[in-house]
Amino acid sequence: MLQILIYGAVSSAIYAMLAVGFTLIFGVARILNLAHGSFYALGAYAAYVLTSLFKVPLFLAAPLAVLLVAGFGVVMERFLVRPLRSSQLAVLMITLAVSLAVEQALFITFGSEYRNVPSFVADKLSIGGVDISGQRLLALVAGVLVLLTLWLFIQRTRLGAAILAVSQDPEAAQYMGIPTNRIFSIVMAISAGTAALAGVLVSPFLTVQPTMGLLPMVKAFAIVIVGGLGSIPGSIIASLILGYSETIVAYLISSSWTELVSLVAVVVTLMIRPSGILGRRAAF
Amino acid sequence: MRSISGIDIAGGIVVITILALAPMLAASNYLTGVLTVCAIYGIWASSWDFMSGLTGRENFGHSLFIGAGAYTAGFLATIWSTNPWLSLPMAVGIAIAFSLLVGFPTLRLRGPYFALAMLSASAILQRLCLIFWEYTGGEEGLYGLDPLIKNPLHYYWFVLGVLAITVVILTLLAQSHWGLLLRAIRGDEATCQAAGINVTFYKIASLMISAGFAGLGGALYAHYQLQVSPPLFSVVVSITVIIMVYVGGIGSIYGAAIAAILLTLLTEMLRGFGEYRLWIYTLTLMLILFFLPNGLIAPLWRRLTERLR
Repeated sequence: MLQILIYGAVSSAIYAMLAVGFTLIFGVARILNLAHGSFYALGAYAAYVLTSLFKVPLFLAAPLAVLLVAGFGVVMERFLVRPLRSSQLAVLMITLAVSLAVEQALFITFGSEYRNVPSFVADKLSIGGVDISGQRLLALVAGVLVLLTLWLFIQRTRLGAAILAVSQDPEAAQYMGIPTNRIFSIVMAISAGTAALAGVLVSPFLTVQPTMGLLPMVKAFAIVIVGGLGSIPGSIIASLILGYSETIVAYLISSSWTELVSLVAVVVTLMIRPSGILGRRAAF
Repeated sequence: MRSISGIDIAGGIVVITILALAPMLAASNYLTGVLTVCAIYGIWASSWDFMSGLTGRENFGHSLFIGAGAYTAGFLATIWSTNPWLSLPMAVGIAIAFSLLVGFPTLRLRGPYFALAMLSASAILQRLCLIFWEYTGGEEGLYGLDPLIKNPLHYYWFVLGVLAITVVILTLLAQSHWGLLLRAIRGDEATCQAAGINVTFYKIASLMISAGFAGLGGALYAHYQLQVSPPLFSVVVSITVIIMVYVGGIGSIYGAAIAAILLTLLTEMLRGFGEYRLWIYTLTLMLILFFLPNGLIAPLWRRLTERLR
């Protein structure tokens, strides 16, 4: 029982980090970023390259990896997505193209074999009789901290208020003197950074390989649809629901069936409440 | 969309004749095989174009229908070992069933739900193929399908015939009252609804047609390769098809089919580049997105024939 509680919390935290960035960039810039999974994969690979090839100590490599990927996200938004923003299809195509290009680039440079990243914390902890690796616990703590910081940032700072304003009405925000394009860049950096951080944090205990970004991205879609496109609290609630139901399914039936959970969740949500748990805009 | 004129029909006959005679250039099974794959991609691309090109609802998981059709053929051949010809109608049926499964919950909605749901569904089905490897053969897939027609050249002609019929049927549908409604939905869904058109019905029906042809192509592919494997469901297959339609000119159907043939030939020529192949593909897509937003084949044909009509 306690095992479900802890492992469910860990996967919920990782899903939440992925989904929040995805929903944020959609909510603010209306960009449906199909390259979101590649940020996650790039984060893991950046951590691998920095620690294994350049021998950078891990506590330094992690923030560096996050910054690099955030920079990549900003460049992608500025030069590839922004010129095509008038057409939704073109944005979908270009971000999908980027994600394929990243996957292929990783495949060509690193090959398809699994890579290992050293753990941040090697110790195992025991909570109430349940053994859990320190790395998983770190992922949980870091996830909660990142989400809290993000929430405070958006609710309490001037920049956060500007982001909220743009998400509500980009045109009116522009008239008020908010530089919308710069806001898009900042949001893209945050979005790419949190996805990369999730990748860095899971890299020691999950497999690092070129196609690792696809499935988490599919999960992020599912969470965002369940929680409501563009709603951050919605996606956090949906992350908890999905993280826990997957853990319960894995525990009670078999881990093979977990992939079905997100599909069922999406279908049920779209049938019963298409706008998601906390979606503001009606979807139909 | 302008109506078909004599010049279009003449052009179509010339293209089909060239394609039918192309294997005579070199008496090699290799060329015939490549051309067969070209024609199958043509079926996939034109079927994608019919639904997504006309209604503007981007289907990012066409490989779901392709894989469903191919695996239907695979299961029929390896488990029940039925007459191989039975797999074609069965593949169409199963693909249509999948289209209903995804289409019903998502096509009622506006927004990107359909695109996301299709992408996720195809990715998850690929995973399921690997997870339930006892039944699906896992990574290796299913082997030992029987060819529909033993002679590869005759099979190529058969597939080319299917492609021609597919393009003709889809073009006629697109030209009809039906196609007009689909394009009206792309233009303004709310107005269509206000005019009393059952928008959801038309979207789902067009997805069913699109899925049926994709499944047919999948079964043809399975009986060409004589095996099926999980990469058929992959996002790469879907995106390859979308790129072909983009190059052909969205909403033109014949453009999609011709672009599919040309691009498949191109990738075959690029085989020397090995793993860089997909890179070149992705690069083509980016260039076309930036410089030719209307595609290449259909606008070119329109410009060529403008004087002649």
